[in-house]
Amino acid sequence: MLQSIVSAFQLAARAVRRNKLRALLTILGILIGVAAVVLVSALGSGAREDINQKVSSLGSNVLVVFFQPNQASGARKSQGSSLTEDDGRALVRESTSIAKVAPVLRAGSQLVYETRNWSTQVFGSTSDYFQVRAWNVVRGELWPDTPRDFSEKVAVIGASVATELFGSLDPIGRTIRIGRYPFRVIGVLEKKGQSPFMGQDQDDLVVIPLASFRKNISANNLVGSVDQLLVSATSEETVSRAEVQVDAILRQRHHIQDNSDPDFVIRTQSDLRETQDSIYAALSTLLLSVGLVSLGVGGIGIMNIMLVSVAERTREIGIRMAIGAKEGDILVQFLVEAVILAMIGGLGGTVLGVIAIAILRRVLEWPMTVQPGPLIVALATSMIIGVVFGFFPARRAARMDPIQALGRE
Amino acid sequence: MEPIIEMVGVEKDYASGPVVVRALIDAHITVNEGEFVAIVGPSGSGKSTLMNIIGCLDRPSRGTYRLAGYDVGSRSNNARAVLRNRLIGFVFQGFNLLPRTTALENVELPLVYRGQRAKHRRAHARAVLAQVGLADRVDHTPNQLSGGQQQRVAIARALVTDPPLLLADEPTGNLDTRTSDEILALLQRLNRERSLTIVLVTHESDVALCASRVITMRDGHVRSDVRQSSPRDAGEAAARAQSEPEPTSARPGGE
Ligand SMILES: Nc1ncnc2c1ncn2[C@@H]1O[C@H](COP(=O)(O)OP(=O)(O)OP(=O)(O)O)[C@@H](O)[C@H]1O
Ligand SMILES: [Mg+2]
Repeated sequence: MLQSIVSAFQLAARAVRRNKLRALLTILGILIGVAAVVLVSALGSGAREDINQKVSSLGSNVLVVFFQPNQASGARKSQGSSLTEDDGRALVRESTSIAKVAPVLRAGSQLVYETRNWSTQVFGSTSDYFQVRAWNVVRGELWPDTPRDFSEKVAVIGASVATELFGSLDPIGRTIRIGRYPFRVIGVLEKKGQSPFMGQDQDDLVVIPLASFRKNISANNLVGSVDQLLVSATSEETVSRAEVQVDAILRQRHHIQDNSDPDFVIRTQSDLRETQDSIYAALSTLLLSVGLVSLGVGGIGIMNIMLVSVAERTREIGIRMAIGAKEGDILVQFLVEAVILAMIGGLGGTVLGVIAIAILRRVLEWPMTVQPGPLIVALATSMIIGVVFGFFPARRAARMDPIQALGRE
Repeated sequence: MEPIIEMVGVEKDYASGPVVVRALIDAHITVNEGEFVAIVGPSGSGKSTLMNIIGCLDRPSRGTYRLAGYDVGSRSNNARAVLRNRLIGFVFQGFNLLPRTTALENVELPLVYRGQRAKHRRAHARAVLAQVGLADRVDHTPNQLSGGQQQRVAIARALVTDPPLLLADEPTGNLDTRTSDEILALLQRLNRERSLTIVLVTHESDVALCASRVITMRDGHVRSDVRQSSPRDAGEAAARAQSEPEPTSARPGGE
């Protein structure tokens, strides 16, 4: 049996070599299918790694509370956010699962340093902002914790802003203009990279004291009103409890019934993770269906070409049977040929997939990682396709009547 | 002498549409080891049908057929494949070598289905090719060989398993007279030296005269079955032809 499988392999390899062009066209479907499947798996595992990395860069115990006007507060919409600094203080005071709350105001603004311009997001917050986000300076320092209404014109800038405005200069101590007012740069934040949500550059920002923001950036803000509350739960495990408590405390403070819409939204990292997961899932599903369809088409292509091959080699089959080939021998011969075709397609597809991954990673900066598991699965799949689609033609060959196959003489 | 072929009341029907063709009717044939039998008869008389049954390629519709004691009629396709591989060598009119495959590989083929190792197969195939006078053509493919050479390769392939029985359906049908005689001389030698049993179908009386026994078929019946006390010696005829001037000397790969 082993002998006959070995010689079946030699035979099949020869049959494939004799018809190189035909073999190439036959395996195209499988090649594309396997390449797509390899891509999908690389995209999937890359995305997972990427999300994990970015989520931890934001802080996995962070919750963000946004103002979101509901029907009841619709009238107040023009007056701005109903979230206040007092809400933030109440959260720390009343919740058992919250460590810190940083009130945040934000606005887009133009930064100017000498002849350089850069437009970015300006955040006004307390020094708790850096603690909630577990974010340190790599250069310089932060402003002091107290007093709460610290309103010096000082700024802590993100790594990207530092590069854009100062290039290789040391920004510390230099004065930039935010809007109309000069601010002194006192710190540069460590680099965080892209955010997990839509891949924004997290280092493209300036943080200034909240009171200073009110005075200099948007003076028309309601007293005490903020755009966001950045909340850190006491630990990763208490995030969901913190979420429930934030909801309860804010509903109470904003006089909102349990059954009506609140005027705020709470976002946790797991929400962000879900959003991004679903984007990758959609993309993966698309690629995977392309892959599966072309694998199916490839399988049918193999079946077709094997039927042609069996018909062409009818006499050969007759000869082999006359000199003692059993049905199983003929079956194995053609099955192995189909499997070899499919496996060549699978190998080619794997190589193509890996090349495509390398290109996409470089050119589009897609997060992708190649893992051996999916490659093995891809090869195994193409082998199975060879067996499944090669079986029918091989059985047809094996069931031939030797006399008919030899041709009547 | 042991009988190698024993047929008792063997018949073969072919159903072609609503009509039943009785291709072989009530055949009683016994062939002993070492005989050289020629089967003759007009076209459509059932010669190939008979050969297919003898060769275990087909089963009789009725009657019993024993090959070397094995009842063939009751055996499965696979069992008959094994019988063919063990007991029978086939030689066909159209040579039936695998194209684009060397003489050596063609001759090896029956041993592949015996599960022999490549090294052993190759050595054995080489030896048999040498016996049929083709030691210097082992790596040629069929289209690089003359008709006579191709038929020698086919004979080598039939003999490589050392079967007791050789079946040949019009083995000289595609060959000129001189090459026919050479092939026949080879068969006669094998019959004489190894006491190989040979059953051969032919249209030509010259060929039939070389056998020790002639069975004549007509309309599916065995019409006559005669022994020839002094068969024609094909080797002598070939040798005589050798001494005469060669008519077509530019045969590809000529001998
Ligand atoms: N598979 C088949 N189906 C139907 N009829 C068949 C089949 N094989 C043979 N026959 C019929 O059986 C009869 C005997 O055929 P067979 O091939 O044995 O003749 P033959 O003596 O070998 O003829 P030839 O000398 O032309 O080769 C013929 O009438 C033929 O038409
Ligand atoms: Mg015939």
